[in-house]
Amino acid sequence: MKDSLQPSITRKLLVCAVVVLAWTAVAEGAVSRGFTHLLDAVVRIDVREESFDSGARRFSAGIGSGVIVSADGLIVTNAHVASPRAVELSVTLASLERVNATLVGWDHWTDLALLRIDLAEVKRRGLTFTHADFANSDKLSPGQTVYAVGTPHGLTRTVTRGIISNNRRFFADNRGVKGYETGLFNTWLQTDAAINPGNSGGPLVDEQGRVVGINSRGYLGADNLAFAIPANIAKRVVAGLAAEGAITRSYIGIVPGALLDLEGFYALKQNTGLLINSVDPGSPAAKAGLRGGDIVLSINGAPADGRFPEQLPPVLNSIASLPIGSVVKLVVKRGEQTITSAVATEKLESRQGEEWAFEKWGLTVRKVSRAYARENQLDDDTGLLVIGVQPGFPAAVAGISRGDIITKINRERVASLELAKQMHAEFVAKPAPCLFETETDRRVSLYILKP
Amino acid sequence: MILRLRPFLLLSTLLLGRANVACAADLPALFAERTKSVVAVEFFTESELDRRPSITAALVADAEGTLVLPRAAVNTFLPPSKLKDFRVYLPGRPVSDYAQGEYLGQDPVSGWHFVRVEAKLRPSLVPVTAFTPVAGEPAIAEEFWGIGLRGKDEDFKPYFMMARVSHLQQMPERTVVAQAEVAAPGLPVFARDGGFAGVAVGGFGQSFIQYVRNERGQSVMLVNPEESSVFQIAADVTPWLTRIPANPSGRPIAWLGVYGLQPMDPEVATFLKLDQQSGCVVSEVLEGSPAEAAGVKNRDIILAIDGQPLPRFKPDRVVVGFVDRDISRRKPGEVVTLTVLRGTERLELKSTLVEQPKLLREAERIYFERIGFTAREFVYGDGIMRRVKLGARKGVIAHFVKNNSPAGAAGLQPDDWIQEVDGTEVRTYAEAVAKLAAIEADLARTEFVLLTSRNGETAVLRVKLK
Repeated sequence: MKDSLQPSITRKLLVCAVVVLAWTAVAEGAVSRGFTHLLDAVVRIDVREESFDSGARRFSAGIGSGVIVSADGLIVTNAHVASPRAVELSVTLASLERVNATLVGWDHWTDLALLRIDLAEVKRRGLTFTHADFANSDKLSPGQTVYAVGTPHGLTRTVTRGIISNNRRFFADNRGVKGYETGLFNTWLQTDAAINPGNSGGPLVDEQGRVVGINSRGYLGADNLAFAIPANIAKRVVAGLAAEGAITRSYIGIVPGALLDLEGFYALKQNTGLLINSVDPGSPAAKAGLRGGDIVLSINGAPADGRFPEQLPPVLNSIASLPIGSVVKLVVKRGEQTITSAVATEKLESRQGEEWAFEKWGLTVRKVSRAYARENQLDDDTGLLVIGVQPGFPAAVAGISRGDIITKINRERVASLELAKQMHAEFVAKPAPCLFETETDRRVSLYILKP
Repeated sequence: MILRLRPFLLLSTLLLGRANVACAADLPALFAERTKSVVAVEFFTESELDRRPSITAALVADAEGTLVLPRAAVNTFLPPSKLKDFRVYLPGRPVSDYAQGEYLGQDPVSGWHFVRVEAKLRPSLVPVTAFTPVAGEPAIAEEFWGIGLRGKDEDFKPYFMMARVSHLQQMPERTVVAQAEVAAPGLPVFARDGGFAGVAVGGFGQSFIQYVRNERGQSVMLVNPEESSVFQIAADVTPWLTRIPANPSGRPIAWLGVYGLQPMDPEVATFLKLDQQSGCVVSEVLEGSPAEAAGVKNRDIILAIDGQPLPRFKPDRVVVGFVDRDISRRKPGEVVTLTVLRGTERLELKSTLVEQPKLLREAERIYFERIGFTAREFVYGDGIMRRVKLGARKGVIAHFVKNNSPAGAAGLQPDDWIQEVDGTEVRTYAEAVAKLAAIEADLARTEFVLLTSRNGETAVLRVKLK
């Protein structure tokens, strides 16, 4: 009984508080024209996407936010909102009209994706929209007021307010964007503006309504710890995605660690040094003889400074931004020695391989990538990682389970997903038992999949 | 709640016991006599910071005071030197009155651990072999009984259990699954007339569905650690009673060097046109092993050993245990002929077994108290786990890391592989220990740096000593 009373009191209190706040805001001069303009550029994004984790191709739906950034209808959102798994994308404009959109490209490293609105449809239906402008995010200072606009929990066109809590936050997450890596090449804006699920992809703006960041993530279970991709990074990525549909990065295979107060130990001059914590086996850096514990003093002549975690992304980005195949000259300190080493870059690849469903086998797989093979100390990138089996289907009946790596089908090495697709097509056309070889924790097993 | 449940359980055990005994006047006498072939053994496992007691039941193997402890009674990763103060208790006698025992080692075939009790207790013991072993296989529904031991607080009081044979299975020893618990794991099981019928084995679970209020049932497996309803028959395990290790390391141990043996599914055998043939897939051939020297390749399928086709078992995976047993019962230097299937080709490969490389439990180790961790020698098994080629094996393994110690605070974790100390590579255990000991002894040192590897990724750890 007592419970039922409580909320109504709280609600009254809340309403009170909101009224007071609103009144204060009005007193401060309400919202700028720029801000009103911005509101017309914010959209809600509805996504229907495929997933492969249950042994079959399934569909799920999600909601996110986005902001229109060009007159021809390019929309920026998060990579974890709109990924290549999306099969249907629709955006809801400020006028509450719904229009279809297509994916131009995505970049999970910065958690950004670019959509293009169906302009023909917009024209045909006589709809209108505005587009937002980016601000210079390098000029933000902690404490500055910012607003987040988006669709938290499906609540369309929600504006929340906060400040920039930190303008150079570093965090990297190895599987943060739908299992893909993120955060290694950029720092993040941290804000206490309320960001909830559904805010993803919406803009973080200043008082003039200029976009300073793209809201991306928050700490679950924490209060008001949210993160956005800085506008200056977003501008670059948007340009790259619009031009080529993808961001190509260079890779040499070093895993850095912050030096913190180790520079005394390594007898380094002030403000220099990037610690190499680890070198990926088989990577260009490993081939060039670099090792964990080495200190990079300069990269292509430019001094490297990686004493603090937030200094790492720019340094890594300077390598990643080089054209593939360029030679990076590193001056490295190893103990007393100073070594110069030239490393040719390779194309950066994700650890997450392509996913596919083999319906008649009742099996969903993900291609083993080079990075995955390296992490799991596999001999090479042969094989398909089983990410789902459907009970009662041939794969499950034979005993294949999630986590197995299919290395051979009918004695043929599964070097590519294409080969497996071809085998599956044969199985569908002419059902006959198939011999599968799998590897799990380095244990090799054989299975027969019967039609 | 638990306090109320206990007496009830005890009561029900007694009632059940009485129901069976009522029709068997001779059983109390048989029970009293055969209780002399079982004891309780307590020992202490010494670690860097504490001593932990373990208690297990054991059977008496011979008249020289040799006791057999089940496989799971002792953690085999630990060096025998860390097992201290073996105490042997007679069931039902005051626990203050115990005898000392000596750890003799583990037999690689049975997995049993052997302990020898001091002479003063021997006259009170009767070896299980004194009770005529039951010949042949038990029949379905035949009655068997055994002994369980209560806790130390109850002076290890012996109690009676009895059950009928439910079914017989080869795993690969002939194993009886009884209707109910029949003896404590590791203790003998007797026929109705008192003949020695087998040894109870632990680790078998039973499936149940557990319901929690307001939630759907969830399947769980329950394992009774104190009583077992499964036993291996005497004919198959009696020969093991005399396999007393010559030394605590259990050596000599024959080694073939095949890793990750996996059973071949009968469907696969049919597909490969092997009909009723059983087989074992070799996942990996280990570097420098006799198997490698003999030309065994990864993914070969072992079909026969010394011309004897591998028997077919159910479940399929039992064949792996069969192969392991077959190799471990041999001696280093023996030649074994493997028939393997490679692709469609059948090959006969002759391999000369050698002594097993140094085991984890034989690795040297030393605890650095000030730094706060134990460095352990890098042994062959560490190289396999980390996929390191023989030539690249170096450094030491962090075996134990003390919480909040300098090493712990620096982020060192157990099983981390230490490759460099203060920026210099440490090739051998001796080299690493010398460096670490110098740091430990140098009270003026404020910090040092370790290069460690975990899951194939290295990291520089800074250890602050002050």
